[in-house]
Amino acid sequence: MRIVIAEDSVLLLDGLTRLLQSEGHEVTGHRTAEEMVAALTAPGVPLPDLLVTDVRMPPSHTDEGLRAAVHLRSLHPDLAVLVLSQYVEQRYAAELFAAGTRGLGYVLKDRVADVDEFLDAVGRVEGGGTVLDPEVVSQVLARSRHDLADLTPRERDVLALMAEGRSNTAIADRLVVGPAAVEKHVTNILSKLGLPPDADAHRRVLAVLRWLDLNGDLR
Amino acid sequence: MTSTEPATGRVAPALTTSGFLRAPFAPATYHGVAQVVVGWLWALTAGLPVMIVVVTAAALVPVLGLGLLVLPPALALARAFGGAERARLAAQTGAVVPAPARRRPGGPHWVTRLWAASSDPVGWRATAYAVVALLLTSVYLVFVVAMAAGAVGGVVLAARFLLGGGDAGPLATAAGTILLLVAVVVALWLAACCAQAGTLTIVRLARTLLGPSAAAQARAAQALAESEARVAESAAAAATERADVLSETRAAALEAADTERRRIERDLHDGAQQRLVALGVTLGTARRVAEREPAAAVDALEQAHGEVKETLAELRDLVRGIHPAVLSDRGLDAALSALAARSPVPVRVEASGLEAAGTTAQAAAYFVVAEALTNVAKHAGASVAHVRAAVVPEGAAGSGPVLRVEVTDDGRGGAGTAPGGGLAGLRGRVAALDGTFDLTSPADAGTRLIVELPCAS
Repeated sequence: MRIVIAEDSVLLLDGLTRLLQSEGHEVTGHRTAEEMVAALTAPGVPLPDLLVTDVRMPPSHTDEGLRAAVHLRSLHPDLAVLVLSQYVEQRYAAELFAAGTRGLGYVLKDRVADVDEFLDAVGRVEGGGTVLDPEVVSQVLARSRHDLADLTPRERDVLALMAEGRSNTAIADRLVVGPAAVEKHVTNILSKLGLPPDADAHRRVLAVLRWLDLNGDLR
Repeated sequence: MTSTEPATGRVAPALTTSGFLRAPFAPATYHGVAQVVVGWLWALTAGLPVMIVVVTAAALVPVLGLGLLVLPPALALARAFGGAERARLAAQTGAVVPAPARRRPGGPHWVTRLWAASSDPVGWRATAYAVVALLLTSVYLVFVVAMAAGAVGGVVLAARFLLGGGDAGPLATAAGTILLLVAVVVALWLAACCAQAGTLTIVRLARTLLGPSAAAQARAAQALAESEARVAESAAAAATERADVLSETRAAALEAADTERRRIERDLHDGAQQRLVALGVTLGTARRVAEREPAAAVDALEQAHGEVKETLAELRDLVRGIHPAVLSDRGLDAALSALAARSPVPVRVEASGLEAAGTTAQAAAYFVVAEALTNVAKHAGASVAHVRAAVVPEGAAGSGPVLRVEVTDDGRGGAGTAPGGGLAGLRGRVAALDGTFDLTSPADAGTRLIVELPCAS
């Protein structure tokens, strides 16, 4: 696939480029958010399959990457974007996910060092899935207005993995249980939370995040 | 004022304390007699002529103003008499009468000067003293002599009664003798008390007429109170100013510390953390391609190895930026040499005898030089820089020995302490230590930075 990366650290940009190229992707790198936005909004340029962007970049070293991502998503809602952040904040996630969660990822930059996990996230986001960093999920769970006491500890683990945007298979792998057990947990969780059962993983993530009130801070 | 009570107690114990019974035998009595005798002689031989001169001069004033020429020296004479009298009283009685204020200066004009000289209150009061003292000492002297003579006469008469002389007369009875002895005792006591009272009166008179006048004393007290108030006011103003400076420098120190923390956070984030993430990516890549393309994996591993070494170097720099180990281990002298050795611009260092400076001052001086040399390398375009550090006994602002650090270069100048910049942070750090920070950087004429830090800090 065609991937555009915006990352101000030369080292990391080089590393990611080499990694993704070795996986057979076509990669273009940019050092600033402005440069990346200019390249993607130039007339006649086809959109990439995925945009990977750092949050903190020159000139102000605050949240240029995030703002650029939100801006590009408003122009092209179908553009798959994976945002890498030095610090994950529910507030940033809420801003990013406010206009939809399809083909969108927000993960802690350090997770990139776990190459397999990173490549998995790249694949899921490019395929239209949602990837939310476990740290954001735990923040959201901690601040949820709902009472999660009804859920068993195992069900709470499954809920967290669902909120991260993982498929049943991935959850089963992670918890080292069979797919049937995961499906039973998911059904129990959805019924306990009063959410409609839905086989589509993406719609399920959306429902869970909405129920957990990810965007609560923005309202 | 304060000397009054002990003086009167010493001068006249019979009258002011419980020394009445011992009055004829008290030293104060004999001193009193001597004082009255000398005082009377002095008043007669010096006081009287002074009085005559002054009164004559005053009387001559209506005569074509002739007295106006004689009056000032006459009053000066009276002043001198007063001074001599104070000295005599101090020597004979121990009572110290404070000297009155010096003569008031007249004005610029000769008339006002003449008027001031002719109306000198000290001279006039001394003249009045001469008159009153002569009268008083005369009275006391006569009384003391009369009583003493009476007592002596009584004793002689009583002796004749007791020896039973032939022409003893009608009083030579036992009762008459006892009566006579009682009279002798009374006369003796009266003479003693009178001698002491004479001294007491003269001392009080001198305090009234030869000392500073009540108005002058009030003025002096007021002036003293005013000057004390001024001192207190200026002390309060200085304290307020100091408090202002302290709260300013405290704010600057907090800001400098905050800036420093942000710098360290940024250095860690942009440096070591990014490098480690990149290292993770590189190693992960190597692992993934190891089976497919061993050559690519070796390349990636070599890359990773290089990144590890660079990360270590960067961490070393960062740690040095927080606090250089050489500064704690070998002192500022060695730390400055190390800084100079790392500078891309040639640096000459002159530093010695810096041990007298405190560790905080040394650390601040180190970071001042480090920042200055970084600026020289980055912005100045200089061919050479010069660092001088020394402990000098007195700084530009005074108050004790300071560690003086001077960094000069021959670059393009124009350096400034823009808010948020490295030099601005150092200025805050220096101010928090009560140091001074002097940056001179005219365009095209090099830069000179002089920082002085109190050694005690």
